[in-house]
Amino acid sequence: MPFLQLNQVAFTYAGKTSPALSGINLSLEKDDITAMVGPNGSGKTTLTKLMIGVLQPTAGSIYLEQRPLAQYSLAEIGRRIGYVFQNPSLQLFCPTVAEEISFGLTNQGCDPTVVEERVGFYLNYFELTAYRNAFPLYLSHGEKQRLAIAAVLANEPEFLILDEPTIGLDAYRKRLLEEYLQKVASLGRGMLLVSHDIAFVNRMAKRVITMGDGRIQSDSGWRGNAAYDA
Amino acid sequence: MEAIAVQGLTYQYHSGSPQVLKGIDFLVQPGEIVVVAGLSGCGKSTLCHCISGIIRHNRDGVMAGNILVNGKNIEEINGASLAFEVGMVFQDPDTQLFSPTVEDEIAFAPENMCLPPERILERVNKALDVLGISDLRYANPYHLSGGEKHLVALAAVLALDPPVLILDEVMSQLDIVGKQRVGDALTRLRDSGKTIIAVEHDLQAIAFSDRLAVLDDGKIICFEPTSALLAEPSFLAAHGLIDVEYNGV
Amino acid sequence: MMLDPRTKMVMVICLTSLALVYNRPAQLLLLFAVTVVLLALFHFRISAIWGYLKPFLSLMLFLFVIQSIFSPGNEVLLAIGSVPLITTEGLIMGASVVLRITVVIAAAMLLTTFSSRDFVLGLVQWRVPYELAFMVSIALRFLPIFKDELINVVTAVQLRGIELKKIPWGQKLAMYRRLALPIVYGAMLKAQQLAIAMEARGFRAYPRRTYLRRLQFYWADYVVMVIFLTGTIILMIQPFI
Repeated sequence: MPFLQLNQVAFTYAGKTSPALSGINLSLEKDDITAMVGPNGSGKTTLTKLMIGVLQPTAGSIYLEQRPLAQYSLAEIGRRIGYVFQNPSLQLFCPTVAEEISFGLTNQGCDPTVVEERVGFYLNYFELTAYRNAFPLYLSHGEKQRLAIAAVLANEPEFLILDEPTIGLDAYRKRLLEEYLQKVASLGRGMLLVSHDIAFVNRMAKRVITMGDGRIQSDSGWRGNAAYDA
Repeated sequence: MEAIAVQGLTYQYHSGSPQVLKGIDFLVQPGEIVVVAGLSGCGKSTLCHCISGIIRHNRDGVMAGNILVNGKNIEEINGASLAFEVGMVFQDPDTQLFSPTVEDEIAFAPENMCLPPERILERVNKALDVLGISDLRYANPYHLSGGEKHLVALAAVLALDPPVLILDEVMSQLDIVGKQRVGDALTRLRDSGKTIIAVEHDLQAIAFSDRLAVLDDGKIICFEPTSALLAEPSFLAAHGLIDVEYNGV
Repeated sequence: MMLDPRTKMVMVICLTSLALVYNRPAQLLLLFAVTVVLLALFHFRISAIWGYLKPFLSLMLFLFVIQSIFSPGNEVLLAIGSVPLITTEGLIMGASVVLRITVVIAAAMLLTTFSSRDFVLGLVQWRVPYELAFMVSIALRFLPIFKDELINVVTAVQLRGIELKKIPWGQKLAMYRRLALPIVYGAMLKAQQLAIAMEARGFRAYPRRTYLRRLQFYWADYVVMVIFLTGTIILMIQPFI
């Protein structure tokens, strides 16, 4: 049974006449790495925002674990789907890096020693230990990215959506990110990667969805979609 | 006369904190495209912010050394006028775009230069054309996609027509089409005598550059013609700049 | 109807002045109706009016209550012992206060029917120094940025699994207090970056600047401005004649 299901979903931004998305039919499994590619403005980010309930579709329906998405609260969605924004600053709001990672866990009543351990683990894995007490908005773009991913992963959601995760990362850290995402996937977590980094997509994804003009142009089972390169 | 001459540049966020830039000497000739690369945190963005005068005029922190742009010392030019010498495109498009339409955004710089309306229109048209975004002319920048915002930010700075252009991680945020357009635009600008400095992670995006400067921990460890360095992928991989698997270009 | 932004600014000034002078709910309601008609004429989405008023509802309720109770009047509706608590006059005054705020807010919405560029142009062509005009325009532009910052944080917090509606008030307040600093700081950082971006494009390099487009008055603008100005003056003097 698909984890996330979209039926004839369409979306138009308020005050605009032409739709940003139309006729989207999609199912995503919990244990796949899927990539979404497409030129700028094709609706990729908009579609992901619909998937996590930040935007509501103007037509069609979305189901999360067979229940209509509209019936979930944002928090309930957040516990199941971790979303990393294209601009990481949008989701960093704590006074220190360590607090940012521990925020979700602490406020859901997790045991402090467990929290401490997880924070230490993620700080270490994403090489942010030196910035433990730093103010998140002062970090460089790449560091903020890593922090946002760590903060979202700390909640251990079943599915992850990452919007352009490789922007701002150098090759070395891109490799680290790939390794970590592979590990997360092998634990049975699904992932949707929105990216226009072809090499990254080719290495990571088993399935590639190509977007164009607000529609799904193709949905290959395998990587290397020539239609996008054109 | 060099387009950019940096001599003995050091910078710390406050006195007593570790130096982010540890004595940089950096010369860029007019009509060159130079890429500044390095791992995140090495100081490449800081270097560019120093060259464009932003750090000197807008930030605290201790900066020492000389920076000359087109032969003029940046200490002697006020912040806004420096923009006419060095145009800088920042990493985050959301904080660079503030006008109701793309046309207004691009017109902003020539308006500040007190150009007559016909010349302003010329520059707007040219910038839209060169980057292929004429169809976005009346769009609201706030509602554009990430990549489109970057193109608009670049167009807005191009309208300044500065002799030196600095791009902070612009290429890596664009899709293939965007990279192509910007790459073509930059090559044409270089051919017409402009100097371009691009800070990038993705070396493949700027394979058309002339020279490549690699920073590591606040120092320039290497500044060579790009073609020479790309032919040595092992060196670049050793500094984490490209993946061991693919062969550079 | 395409009117110059300055004409609309004059309208806003007239409507707001009348709203401050008028005291009776009937007059204020009429003023509100006129404002709504104008908004419709300028293609403002009427349904959006509610969205703008909603944040002020609690304030208006508060002021209504404050204004109504203990107000002197002849027709007492409710009393505590011999002290009149609520009188008809009090209720009327309370309603007036609420309507006044409504009219002012609705009139301000007229300012959103043209772009910030035209707003700046309008002020500049009225000889306001351009730095000031931009400052006002950016400050106005910052209200939605602040609102967005707030929405972003609230969304981000919820997406980390926190049900904001269900946690106890004490915890909620503590959380808001802790989030306040990064939110304000984040907005201030954006403001600073914006200022740097503007300077990086030569803003304030020279004491004056030129403009791609200029605003121009047409006869319709003159007619409307004259009508509004004389109408407002007459209506304001009228009670004294």
